[in-house]
Amino acid sequence: MRLRALLTLAALAACLLPALPAAAQIGTVTVRSPRPFGLFLGDRFGATVEIEAADGFVPQAASLPKAGPLTYWLDLTGLSVAAGPLLPNGNRLWRLSLAYQTFYAALDVRRLDIPAFTVTFASDSARATTSATAEVPTWPILVSPLREIQPPPVADPVDYLRPESPVPRRDPGPARALAWAFAALGLAGLALLARDRAWWPLHRRPARAFAAAARQVRRLAARPEDEAAYRAALLALHRGLDRTDGRRVMGEDLADFLGRHPAYGALAQPLGRFFAASRAAFFGRDPAAARRAWPFPDLVATARRLAAAERAGPPAGNGGTP
Amino acid sequence: MPGVAPIAPRPRDCDASVPELSIRMNQIRPADAALTDWRQAALRFEAEIAKAVVGQERAIRLVTIAIFARGHVLLEGDVGVGKTTLLRAVARALGGAYERVEGTVDMMPADLIYHTYLAEDGRPRIEPGPVLRRSQDLSVFFFNEINRARPQVHSLLLRLMAERSVQAFDREYRFPHLQVFADRNRVEREETFELPAAARDRFLMEIGMEAPTDPALRRSLAFDPRFHDTDTLVAEVAADVIDQGAVAGIAAALQHGIHASPALEDYVVRLWSAVREPAKAGISLPDVAMESLVQGGASPRGIAFLIRAARVRAWLEGRDVLLPEDLRAVFHETMAHRIFLEPVYEMRRERIVPEFCRAVLATVPAP
Repeated sequence: MRLRALLTLAALAACLLPALPAAAQIGTVTVRSPRPFGLFLGDRFGATVEIEAADGFVPQAASLPKAGPLTYWLDLTGLSVAAGPLLPNGNRLWRLSLAYQTFYAALDVRRLDIPAFTVTFASDSARATTSATAEVPTWPILVSPLREIQPPPVADPVDYLRPESPVPRRDPGPARALAWAFAALGLAGLALLARDRAWWPLHRRPARAFAAAARQVRRLAARPEDEAAYRAALLALHRGLDRTDGRRVMGEDLADFLGRHPAYGALAQPLGRFFAASRAAFFGRDPAAARRAWPFPDLVATARRLAAAERAGPPAGNGGTP
Repeated sequence: MPGVAPIAPRPRDCDASVPELSIRMNQIRPADAALTDWRQAALRFEAEIAKAVVGQERAIRLVTIAIFARGHVLLEGDVGVGKTTLLRAVARALGGAYERVEGTVDMMPADLIYHTYLAEDGRPRIEPGPVLRRSQDLSVFFFNEINRARPQVHSLLLRLMAERSVQAFDREYRFPHLQVFADRNRVEREETFELPAAARDRFLMEIGMEAPTDPALRRSLAFDPRFHDTDTLVAEVAADVIDQGAVAGIAAALQHGIHASPALEDYVVRLWSAVREPAKAGISLPDVAMESLVQGGASPRGIAFLIRAARVRAWLEGRDVLLPEDLRAVFHETMAHRIFLEPVYEMRRERIVPEFCRAVLATVPAP
């Protein structure tokens, strides 16, 4: 009968056996605290926790302590985990670097305990996940007061505070020079851009006749239903063509114009429509027909494309203006 | 005008790429079908002339314009460039009575009007001269080498051209269809008389003719025997392509049919004042004081001629509206000989006036 009871116990023990290896998977846990004393209110201090774990076990990120307040007087401000070397006994060393900050206003030298925590290690195998928990124990630190308990009375409480440390005097020279240099660079860039885009005061250049025309057309496009504005916009484009060519360009001259200025070759069709609209608007029997056939948006788009072609300049290897 | 195949080459049409808008605008309205028919006839006329005179498309076009503008034409150019051939071809293609005189230094006005001779019976006779011989029917009067004739003859021409009438045999003869074509070579100066300003102003156009510059044309002009015999060359031109008697009516119709917009009228006024006051218009020529360049000319008659000719050109291009291009195309021929310069510049006229016309057209904004 006793034998049967013994066997039952053994069977129970066998059932419990799988829980046992956990202890074996975590080796020693060592807390290294470089300076656990002489800490004042607000000081930061560090600690390194070395955990031996069986090879293949890695700390689970979710189980690590979270940065943030731990107790009313202690914050965890940083934490990093690094895998260390493989030890001779087959375990791997894991290093947890912890950074703390204390807010304990001590009245005397006092020993405090950093809270203990646990870290879960897990090993992923093909069939199952095995986990083990390492217990990191508490360790003490010594905190000290900053001042005596009862300082001698002073007339002005401000005198209790230390004077502010002087602000270091820095040489503003290089920064100022750099600022000027960047300002000059910016202005030069702005000037170049203004020249390229023919902004004021560089807008009245023969080389940017279409830019001026496009600007005027855009202004006039604010009144799309106004017949006079439409005619003025057509005239603006006419003057742009005239100034680009250095002579009066009429509808019949379009082919010659495009021959002299290959930069606008791609715009042959819009220019043809422009001349047709201009003829209808200025010389036709029904001036309003021009605006219906070639409305303001087309006019604005053509002006914009002409200005863009003007900025791009003559195509490479193709002489340019005579 | 459906069903009429274009016989003549189409006039230069740079709007081929321009879509529907211009096409609609360029079409002559169906109401003016007669004008369209006549346009075909005019183009055929040009094609006929071009058979005899090669490489002179511009001169031919201008002569056609002059015919339909009912204006007189003065051709000038180098010796042997085909002035006379062109005018003979024009006279042949243009139906109607035709007379031709040669200008000589001893020619007197009476020689044009009367033909005096001793008859077989030994008594002097006076009969109508070249101008009167065809009386009312005279349509083409061709004056060859007009600058060899004396100023007296020029002044007879003045009335003949301006009023199309002349006084003879104690009565007035009227020539309703008359069109005077004259030519003048600009090389010779001896024994010639410069046309007075008033006579020049009566010509609608002064057309300058130059030898063609195209090497292929020059080669064929030099070697093709066809061009060596002017008589057979002119005979190749179909006769009476245009009935001169009917031109007056169609000319008047097309002057009414071609629309000139207010913007174009402004352009003409700007051109006019630029010719009269070039300095104010901002025109400048090298080595010329613009304030004292133009002495006179560009008369209202001249401007009216310019518009007449420009309207015909618009019609020939197949449009029913007048464009600045039309004015530009005929500006030099209709205006240059009407601009009278200060004497100090008159000697350099042949260089200054074309440049001046070019500068006026390049300066006055259109539209």
